[in-house]
Amino acid sequence: MALSKRQKAQYLRYSVYTFSCLVLVALALFVDWNRLAGAMFRWDIVVKQFPDILTKAAKNTLIFTVMGFAGGLALGLLFALMRLSKIRAYRWFAATYIEVFRGIPLVVTLLILGFGIPIAFQWSWPNPYLRGAVPLALVAGAYIAETIRAGIEAVPKGQMEAARSLGMGYPRAMVTIIIPQALRIIIPPLTNELVLLIKDTSLISILGVTSGTIDITRFGRDGVNTTANATPLIVAGLVYLAMTLPLTQLAALMERRAKAASR
Amino acid sequence: MTRSTRFLASLAALAFIVASCGGGSSSSDTTAPADDAEVEVQELTFQPIAAGKLTVCSDAPYEPFEFQDPTTKEWTGFDMDLMRAVATRYGLTLEVTVQPFDGIWLAPQAGTCDVVASSMTITDERAANAGFTDGYFDSYQSLLVRNEDAETLNSIESLTGKTVAVQTGTTGEAYAKANAPKAKIQSFDDAAAMFLALESKQVDAILQDFPINAFRATKQGTTTVSISFDDETEQYGFAVAKTNETLLSALNDSLAEFNSNGTYDAIFAKYFGAK
Repeated sequence: MALSKRQKAQYLRYSVYTFSCLVLVALALFVDWNRLAGAMFRWDIVVKQFPDILTKAAKNTLIFTVMGFAGGLALGLLFALMRLSKIRAYRWFAATYIEVFRGIPLVVTLLILGFGIPIAFQWSWPNPYLRGAVPLALVAGAYIAETIRAGIEAVPKGQMEAARSLGMGYPRAMVTIIIPQALRIIIPPLTNELVLLIKDTSLISILGVTSGTIDITRFGRDGVNTTANATPLIVAGLVYLAMTLPLTQLAALMERRAKAASR
Repeated sequence: MTRSTRFLASLAALAFIVASCGGGSSSSDTTAPADDAEVEVQELTFQPIAAGKLTVCSDAPYEPFEFQDPTTKEWTGFDMDLMRAVATRYGLTLEVTVQPFDGIWLAPQAGTCDVVASSMTITDERAANAGFTDGYFDSYQSLLVRNEDAETLNSIESLTGKTVAVQTGTTGEAYAKANAPKAKIQSFDDAAAMFLALESKQVDAILQDFPINAFRATKQGTTTVSISFDDETEQYGFAVAKTNETLLSALNDSLAEFNSNGTYDAIFAKYFGAK
């Protein structure tokens, strides 16, 4: 007797469930949990990481992220509008900026702006936070510019036409009609960019850290060396998750709200 | 996309992934050993992680201890020449893996290499997690400054309020934290960034082992060693996994032999002049 399609699907599903359960059981039985815990999650080391990992490391990571995101947003908006401008020179300049900063790895950008420019121009960064956050903002700006541009272009052309036909100038139409609507489309990828920025701050330590500017990753790595154990890195990863998970959940919430509102 | 383009695209993606999976860079020594010809090959008493090779971890370049010859790309330097001599003594070829200094003494335990040769000072803290050979080089800390600061930044006290660069996880960092608490200490992942920071005026001095600073000063000309702290000497040692007794004794035997038969002196003279 041939199995109907429905029965076949059911059997397949049961077998997948059973297989997954077997894998989990195997993991629970055959992994040496004690050894794993000893190598990667010792409570005494976990406790030692606090409160410095929050009061010093997370604080600095947040400062770099906020500065990078604020700068990136401003630059992104500027370059997105330039990209859409009628003046060819603006479009060309914006396109070049976006391609350059999207195409070069952040590490290289950090090194060039952190060391190369000061050496070439006999100039110093006034502040270690700026030294790390400005390259971050420049790169974030390039990505955000593309996101904003896509958002603006996704707003139906009819909106701009209607606004213009009501007598609004291009700038006023942009600011009051187009950009607010574009924001709804832009917010999920923007929160994505924010999450990526939080993680990118881990690269800033190549420019040198003081005990005042240490970030979460550097803190974790130092911890590994002083304790010869991987626990500090796991704690660092968890702190990052504690920062990024709320953001991704917020993004999902905003997306749901936006979907409901646009119905 | 057509079938063939899709196949090619996925091949390219796979190649990308595989290529980017390399952790550090590594290179092997395929040239014949250049040192004294009559080296009797000893019996291989230890088990190297890669057959026929002595795998060495190092934070390179770190002249004059470990760096690549600019033309031949061959690994050279005080540490590397010693390691090559050890490898030759056991009929192995030298293979070098580069990784950051921070935590490098844990690498043999993790199975990345047999031995760490990276101008590493023997400290109790490190010895707790790695096995060290007998000391093979005496060193001490020193300050490297820009030429114009040579007269002013020439003592620990003069560093008050100044920014000092140190490399993370080194005894230099420990020395700075212990003896110059009033200075602003900046830790760097690698030595190259420190030299750049000094040149770009981000830091005022680099606190680092004397041979490295001295070599850099002679090579670059814009920097000077303003002071050496030779009251506190330290010894470099090669690090292996704590449980690797066989390799440890093999290394110590080799070092003892080199000390007696002139190999050590020859290598020393090559980089630091006659003792």
